[in-house]
Amino acid sequence: MKKTLLFLTFAGLLLASSSCGKRQPQDVQTVTTEATDTLPQLVTQIQRCAKLYTTEVKIHKIVTHDDVVRLRGNMLSKNFDIPLPLGERKVAIPMDATLKAYIDFSEFSEQNIERHGQRIVILLPDPQVTLTSTRINQKEVKEYVGLTRSHFTDKELTSYEQQGRQAILNNIGNMNIIETAKENAARVLVPMIAQMGYREEDITIAFRKELTIDELKRKIEGLGR
Amino acid sequence: MKDILKHIDWRWKAVLLAAAAIVVTLAARCTMTSISESTVSIAVDEDINITPEQIESIKAIGEWEFLSVADEELVDTTRRGIFTDDHLVRIYYGTVRLGINMHQVKPGWIQTQGDSISVTLPKVGLLSRDFIDEARTKTFHESGRWKPADREALYWKAHRQMLKHCLTQENLRNAGINGEAQFRRMMKALGFDHVSISFEQ
Repeated sequence: MKKTLLFLTFAGLLLASSSCGKRQPQDVQTVTTEATDTLPQLVTQIQRCAKLYTTEVKIHKIVTHDDVVRLRGNMLSKNFDIPLPLGERKVAIPMDATLKAYIDFSEFSEQNIERHGQRIVILLPDPQVTLTSTRINQKEVKEYVGLTRSHFTDKELTSYEQQGRQAILNNIGNMNIIETAKENAARVLVPMIAQMGYREEDITIAFRKELTIDELKRKIEGLGR
Repeated sequence: MKDILKHIDWRWKAVLLAAAAIVVTLAARCTMTSISESTVSIAVDEDINITPEQIESIKAIGEWEFLSVADEELVDTTRRGIFTDDHLVRIYYGTVRLGINMHQVKPGWIQTQGDSISVTLPKVGLLSRDFIDEARTKTFHESGRWKPADREALYWKAHRQMLKHCLTQENLRNAGINGEAQFRRMMKALGFDHVSISFEQ
């Protein structure tokens, strides 16, 4: 018995010394390894453009999320879905978004102008809509967390905010912004052209055509993002 | 029942027994299959609820954008603890737009004489101070629990960083150069041979 105990103690010491010996080169390696930047490369993209923003729309949305832990399944060919008690979480995130409609003048040329005597017709490309900013009203964010649940993480909150942003983009087509943008474009351009010597009644601002819903969706930047 | 069984031939008894065995086996198999196909899981909803978007205002504006700078900024905050520190690192996205506001033009900003035109544009500057798309923000790293006030502070930190990186003298100069070129091209298209473009100082 004593011999066995002695043998085990010796074996344990041997293992401990060998594992200590192995750690030393690892430490050396850690010191010699070059520090690598694991942060993603942040990009700044500069673009020259000629856009005339004619309409600004402010939108308010309260993004809500009900997060109930549910026991879901199928037993003997019957589906069941039971909310578990004390497992509820709720969050309401007020969000403001700014949309702007613009006319892209980067391709503007003589082909966009028609003259008929004293009259002038400016044929413009179709207006487009872009989401220029969104703002989360952090002070008004409301959370309710059940006893058995953890608090909302930052990753979860940003995920709900992104879904809210996408919902706003998906709904732009129903806001009639394009028509307002066309009217407002005339309000900016007609006084400008009038200063060049044309009478206001001789100036016509025209657009290509009425947009279909599919074309409208294509005109909305970031819809597929 | 016993009397009935007494009168049945032993061969029929065997057939009945076999049939009963088959029925019991099939029933047991069906039950086992339905039990083995049963699923139970705990799930949480990840989608947001459907809520309406309210249009707060629609405004007519006249902003010419000559240069857009799409930027993303990595900002972080640390809270010192007794045993460990908490960290929150987020990536903010935004687009800084440089150009002129047509509502700032002064009377007589366009002067024409025959085939010559002189245009005096307002000074090139930042079109809007609301340039961060906060709802696009991504969480890069998170440890510990963070309050809305911490996120608000991070937003303003990202705002300052974006202004510092994007609203540079070089970008303003490039926006001015591009604006001049775009207006010159437009005036030429409108039929003016001699075009003079200048910006207010």
